[in-house]
Amino acid sequence: MPQGVKPDNRGRLWLLYGAYYVAAIAIGIVVGLAVVAFAGGNVGLALSTLLTGPITTPAGIQQIFVRFIILCLIGLGVGLALKAGIWNIGGQGQMIIGMVMVFVVTTYLHFLTSTFLFLTIIAAAALGGLAWIVVPVVLKTKVGANEIVVTLLLNIVASNFGLYMINGPIRGPQSFGYPITATLPLNLRIPLTFGVPVVVAVGIALYLLVERTSFNLEANTIGESAVTAKYAGVGVTRVTAITMLVAGALAGLAGAFLVMGYLYHLDAGQFSTNYGLLAIIVALLGRKSMLGITVASLLFAYITIGVEEMAVVTGVQSSIEFAMEGIMLIAVLFASYLIDRSKLR
Amino acid sequence: MTVALSLVITGVFYTTLSLSPLILFACMGEIIAEKSGVADLGIEGIMLMSAFVTFAIDILSRSPWLGILAGVSVGVAMGAFYGYLAIGVYLDQIASGLSLYLFGLGFSYVLFVVLSNKYAGTFPNFINIGTIYVPGISALPIIGRVLFQQNVLVYVALALVPTTAYFLQRTRIGLQIRAVGENPRAADTMGINVKRVRFEAILIGTFLAALAGAYFEIGYLQTFQFDIIMGRGFVALVMVYFSNWNPYKALVAALGFEAVNATQSEIVSLAGPSLQLSSTLFNILPYLFVLALIPIMGRRARAPKYMLVPYKKS
Repeated sequence: MPQGVKPDNRGRLWLLYGAYYVAAIAIGIVVGLAVVAFAGGNVGLALSTLLTGPITTPAGIQQIFVRFIILCLIGLGVGLALKAGIWNIGGQGQMIIGMVMVFVVTTYLHFLTSTFLFLTIIAAAALGGLAWIVVPVVLKTKVGANEIVVTLLLNIVASNFGLYMINGPIRGPQSFGYPITATLPLNLRIPLTFGVPVVVAVGIALYLLVERTSFNLEANTIGESAVTAKYAGVGVTRVTAITMLVAGALAGLAGAFLVMGYLYHLDAGQFSTNYGLLAIIVALLGRKSMLGITVASLLFAYITIGVEEMAVVTGVQSSIEFAMEGIMLIAVLFASYLIDRSKLR
Repeated sequence: MTVALSLVITGVFYTTLSLSPLILFACMGEIIAEKSGVADLGIEGIMLMSAFVTFAIDILSRSPWLGILAGVSVGVAMGAFYGYLAIGVYLDQIASGLSLYLFGLGFSYVLFVVLSNKYAGTFPNFINIGTIYVPGISALPIIGRVLFQQNVLVYVALALVPTTAYFLQRTRIGLQIRAVGENPRAADTMGINVKRVRFEAILIGTFLAALAGAYFEIGYLQTFQFDIIMGRGFVALVMVYFSNWNPYKALVAALGFEAVNATQSEIVSLAGPSLQLSSTLFNILPYLFVLALIPIMGRRARAPKYMLVPYKKS
């Protein structure tokens, strides 16, 4: 809840957020439909597929939940770091390392018993994501290097590293020379009944950490000004390191969920997604609040899958998704500007 | 052996120079923009859009110059829009920059596929602008090929480095740009229109980023694919940062990056199938080179004081 709002205005404020953000997303959809029309596609079909497509098939519903889990995990980490004024643009890279770690474990530790293997994979993915953000953390806290440029760079490194791994060390035995991993056996796949509670648990844990400890105050102080925070006795290095490491681990975990809950294998195409940036949209749309991010993740999971199905039925290139997400992000930011300017504050 | 070696060396240096304008144009543009206090994280998206439009207009109009003009115009239009968002309505620069990237990444390829369908996949020939053969010296061994047989925009990019340094240090507008980036309130008191100067800096910056994208088509690639800029825009952002906003250091860093890149691709292609497996691992080398430089060069980096901070008149 934003500071300085009169209690009796809070309900109206949330309503206002809702209205502006829905309008922002609608703008993105309208632009997407205009592109469909320009490309000679059927606009009516496009709109109906976008809005109702995802829930008409069981596979679609499965995909919504998996994407919700991914966006929520990365988004919560991004939101947490954002509270301290830190931009984790590297969610994509951390997630890719998590995805790769799944198959590193299944390739090299396949002799473990099923349950233990399962837990090892989850832990390895989270640790992989965490390890991937260690360099930005060290460079930021020791050298003062800007985390944005470092995490951006590591995204490119991660996708190249992933390509290398599926070309060699974790290539599947029956890949016939193609860069593709083996398919995960049934006992290593995550049923949704497991994934959703994990996200809820993570969300609650972060909520408690952020809203119910002095962490919120510390992070916000750093977010306002690191210099002030230092004078106020806030452990800037500690808070910075913790938020970034948590964000990295959550993104790595998201990678494991993506592989174990939906993809079940890895090929080159899996590295050219943009979940890391999508998670930033989600974190901003959720106004950095843990509950807001959760709701925004579900919304964006639905919309992006709707857009993908729309692209399939209309024959428009699927990268229209990125264009629409870009417009939605601009519109969401613009909506935030209008809200902050409005008289309710 | 010596002939083969000199061929390899020539190849590496030639590729280094002919790819360097991509980062150089983007880098110089971003230095100018960031000096004014506005960072543009969306240059990758601008470069992608500009590259696509250059390609499309080139094959449609059969004129490379018209292609460049159109590509750069689209890039500058995106820059003007970004300037409005970041300066006019104070939107978060990082987030709105990233939105520009997402838009350019997706939209350029969607349009390319539309164009490709129109031609059923076989495009008419791409018209290039010529390579300059400097008379006499271009025939020299190695040096002649590397230095004096490049696309005209390579020379423009190299000349841009001292020009940018001069522009920022010695001209009136350059001084104003630095002033609004270091202390906008004081600049305002001095009668400088902070928002206008920042907007001009963004326009110059995105013009150069768009030129980078156009060059990539005209001077190097001559085709289009998804994500064709391959993160060079982001690399340029990193270079700006650890060159400490110094055009000459950025030149060294950019050439270093492309030299490592050209060397690794030369090694991969020389080694042939035996190395093909790990060629993707070699692709990482230039980025590791950049990462390794950050603690060395980034230690003393100091951003313009009011970078990322919007200026609101109180």
